[in-house]
Amino acid sequence: MGTRNAEDRLATGSGTEPAVDITDLYAAHRLQLVRMAVLLVDDFGAAEDVVQDAFAALARRPDAVRDPSKTLAYLRVSVLNTARSALRRRRTARAYAPPDDVAPPGPEDAAVLAEEHREVIVALHTLAPRQREVLVLRYWSNLSEAEIARTLEISTGTVKSTASRALVALEKAMSGTTAGKEER
Amino acid sequence: MSTHETSMMEERLRAALSARAEQVQPEHLAPLAPVVPLRPRWQSPWVLLATAAVVMLILGVAFRGIGSDPRSDDLAPKPDEPQVTLPADVGRDWSKSPESTPARVDLDGDGTKEKVEFLAEEAEEHDGRVRLQTTLSSTGEEAWGVMQVASTNIGMTAEGVIDADDDGDEELVVFDPGVDPSGGFPVVFDLRDGLLVQAAPEDPDLLLRGQVQVPGSETEYYDLVRTFQYWIDDGSLFSGRSVESFARAGEFWTSPLEVELEAWEWRLGPDGVLRREAAGCRELMFEVRACDDDSSDRLPVVGPAATESFGMGEEFTWDDGYTLTARLEAGADPALVVEGSDARTINHSLEVRDPVVLTTRPTGVFGDGASFVVRSASDPGYLQVLYQRGDQLQALAPVGEVPLTDDETHRTWLTTDGSLVTVVAADDGSWRAWSWQMVSRSEMAAIPGGILCFDDATDPTTGRAC
Repeated sequence: MGTRNAEDRLATGSGTEPAVDITDLYAAHRLQLVRMAVLLVDDFGAAEDVVQDAFAALARRPDAVRDPSKTLAYLRVSVLNTARSALRRRRTARAYAPPDDVAPPGPEDAAVLAEEHREVIVALHTLAPRQREVLVLRYWSNLSEAEIARTLEISTGTVKSTASRALVALEKAMSGTTAGKEER
Repeated sequence: MSTHETSMMEERLRAALSARAEQVQPEHLAPLAPVVPLRPRWQSPWVLLATAAVVMLILGVAFRGIGSDPRSDDLAPKPDEPQVTLPADVGRDWSKSPESTPARVDLDGDGTKEKVEFLAEEAEEHDGRVRLQTTLSSTGEEAWGVMQVASTNIGMTAEGVIDADDDGDEELVVFDPGVDPSGGFPVVFDLRDGLLVQAAPEDPDLLLRGQVQVPGSETEYYDLVRTFQYWIDDGSLFSGRSVESFARAGEFWTSPLEVELEAWEWRLGPDGVLRREAAGCRELMFEVRACDDDSSDRLPVVGPAATESFGMGEEFTWDDGYTLTARLEAGADPALVVEGSDARTINHSLEVRDPVVLTTRPTGVFGDGASFVVRSASDPGYLQVLYQRGDQLQALAPVGEVPLTDDETHRTWLTTDGSLVTVVAADDGSWRAWSWQMVSRSEMAAIPGGILCFDDATDPTTGRAC
């Protein structure tokens, strides 16, 4: 990737001028998006795949984003959706496979976190996907309620209520880790 | 949680998220690779196309009949497409709510209806999840689904069954009773791969029930809403949106008796997505039916007009509802004297010299006590609405877009059912109906209704469609 030419660039819209350069986007936002995906799927390898899939989806649909300023928001939505899909596949696999078949976490995973943080992250992943997404977007991505609403295609009121309830659920899950693990 | 506890939890969550995210460092990422494969310059699109076609043909012949796993990026949903979520196997130990009624639905299409039970997640005061579970009659295997609901403390029941994909088995339609009883949306569960999977509507904003604000329609005294409805008819799921929008002020809204809907039928695709197909016109009154040519019920209700009144030196007794007697007494200023059944007497000075009081009370404006419409015997344009506020009568000042008067272009009358209506003439000969509503303790405003025409603008009973 050291050099690029015009063919590497992906133009959006109907014009010939490239509006969105995926290579630039990839370099600029990949790390942040992988970090967000890790918070959503709690698995580094899966998070990398999720982000790669999001970029691949954008590459396949160059006209999906006509306004370059909205590309990051588009990618964020794509990562959320792809993370959801990855979790679905993981849950389905768990539903049909013996527990021993579930791969152990890698060295980068939450096992090496400080205990106080690990407890929160474990509880976070017992929440419903929508609750987890709202918390990650609000407390890690630092998006406003309006931005979260646009990202998740829900109302700002739902963002507020979901966040509020998610915090309560998080605290509850942390105080009852055993039940949370069973559910997960 | 208290505010302090919430703040503590927020800080702890923020720190944990940051710590977890920071575990991913640039050196952990795989080397940068172009997302879009580079195309060698010597390869023209035509060469690529031809080569790809040959390769596909060979692969197709060689591996015909052998299934292959889809690529992960093929599986990855597009950001702008509805998402179908496979349910997690949660809630086996949740309890059956005694308020819930098990659903009967032939999920596997073998002619025998499965019994679907609802197990509610324990939730003290907030929303939660409900597990739907059944044993399939065809295989004896367990199937389950999960639904997010507004309250797990309210019993679940099935809204009905449909076959939206024409595959011979039935899909279960469930309504979340925990949402606003005047609104909400249906949730459709389909048996897919042994699981009860919640179908995802492509346009969820068009598959719901209730009133939805028209964006940008909010004014100081009202906003505009459209009516949404969904229903099941002969094994199919339909929804509709009112063609017209209606004004809403608080709990009052200016819908006609019958609402014309633009309707859609919702079809379930193999990908689990509900997509709508145009289903033409429907009429919504107490139930949904096909449109006919009679549009009289779609007109705003503006009549008949209440005409009986009493004048100076006369009195009238209302013996239905809030019982009271009122009389008009002469004096320096004419006065309306009201004697209630609770022995309270109110003496209210009037601003007109020749008042008449209608014997129909404007309960459409104020119905929680005494209320009156005062007119002038000599000035047909004069109207005043009075209502009882404690031990006195309070006049409601008209505010908003429409004046409270009765002239060539503004016809105002009290209907026999207690609604105060003003119709305003338009240049094309039609009239816009407005209904007066109390908007504060001292003000009332007219809320816009529908459009109609009159054979005789002085007689509200001659109103008709234009």
